Amino acid sequence: MKKAVLLIVMLVLSWGFLRAQENTASAGYMPHSYYTFSWNSIFPLGDFDKWVSQPSPAGFDIGGRYLIHKGLTAGFNIGWERVAEIYGRQTYTIPDLGIAITAENYRFTWMTPFQAVIAYHFIPNKIISPYISLGIGGDYMEHHLLVQEYDIYKTYWDFSLTPEIGALIRFGVFSQWGALVAFNYKWTTNKIDFYQTTSKDLQMLNLKIGLAFILR
Amino acid sequence: MKTKTKLLVMGLGLLFTLSCTKYPPATDRLLEDLVVLTQYDTKADFNSYKTYSISGTIKKITNKDTTDITGPQVTAVLNEIDINMKARGYTPAASSQKADLGLDVVYYENTYVYTYYYNWWGYYYPYYPYYPYYPTYYSSYTTGMGCIEMMDLKNYDPNTQKIYIRWDAFIRGLLTGSHTTSDITWSIDQAFIQTPQIKTSL
Repeated sequence: MKKAVLLIVMLVLSWGFLRAQENTASAGYMPHSYYTFSWNSIFPLGDFDKWVSQPSPAGFDIGGRYLIHKGLTAGFNIGWERVAEIYGRQTYTIPDLGIAITAENYRFTWMTPFQAVIAYHFIPNKIISPYISLGIGGDYMEHHLLVQEYDIYKTYWDFSLTPEIGALIRFGVFSQWGALVAFNYKWTTNKIDFYQTTSKDLQMLNLKIGLAFILR
Repeated sequence: MKTKTKLLVMGLGLLFTLSCTKYPPATDRLLEDLVVLTQYDTKADFNSYKTYSISGTIKKITNKDTTDITGPQVTAVLNEIDINMKARGYTPAASSQKADLGLDVVYYENTYVYTYYYNWWGYYYPYYPYYPYYPTYYSSYTTGMGCIEMMDLKNYDPNTQKIYIRWDAFIRGLLTGSHTTSDITWSIDQAFIQTPQIKTSL
């Protein structure tokens, strides 16, 4: 009997506690703006995959978002990314010149993306605020081919589009700190052309995990 | 919460730092690799040649002098070229005067010396700065490259004394890392494999 009473009392108290959390969660606050610093993982797709097929954890992104109206925000993203892969001995030919070369080679691409972003947060005042966004901007890319001590490289600027889905997750109802988790697809007009290897309209997937500082 | 935030920031900072490397950790591996580069005369008809002759020694050219070298490795190299030419239908000529193609092997060994310096500056405590000075350091590295030349002896023009080179094969990286005779003979085979145009029929 004592145990039953104790159990009922604990259930009532727990219910009250949960209701209190719900009430404080719906209290929340509407952020004025937020800034993010995140780590990027890159997954090359399509023609880009022919150049470097290995996903890369080397990348970071800095962003800012400013609330315009209700859940609509605008902002920016800039970052740095690198994909790289070493290839065992392969033969490359330039048939017109009668040239053939067999060597190990290391290929990597440095990317500096910069974008203006428009985003929509579905429930911006909640602890977990999912969003969708579209980034419009460009990239500066350096494509490098290393053979022995020779570094052959080409640089290109491009135009790019980046649709993204993600979520801003606050560490507490009224916390100004939070985490950012996002996934995006990027399409660029960039290209790679090293004799036999030609790739254009480079595409990739990005996974972003980072920290957000939210301003009220 | 503050501790978690700090740990997250440190973790991201570490990832950021690790991301910022330009050249791969595998650079040493690339430098030690053998590179085989070939070029053939796209206008040559290799089927029109039937016999060949190979030089009995390898010429070694360094910054200082030129010498003929012999030895087991040299024998292995010349034998491998001989095997490849026969496999492609060519017949060894009785003498170089009667050969359609002449093959010559040259080994280049170059030592590069370079200087570099660090800019030292500072000040004598507690007042006077002293002028920067530039101690100079010297370092060097030696490269080794093998070259096989296929000369057109059939169409030698005695009036102009011109000999046309119909095929070149360069093997770079012989002195970086450690390469066995087997590595070198592999690279000779590869040079012929990547030039399938070198063949003739009886």
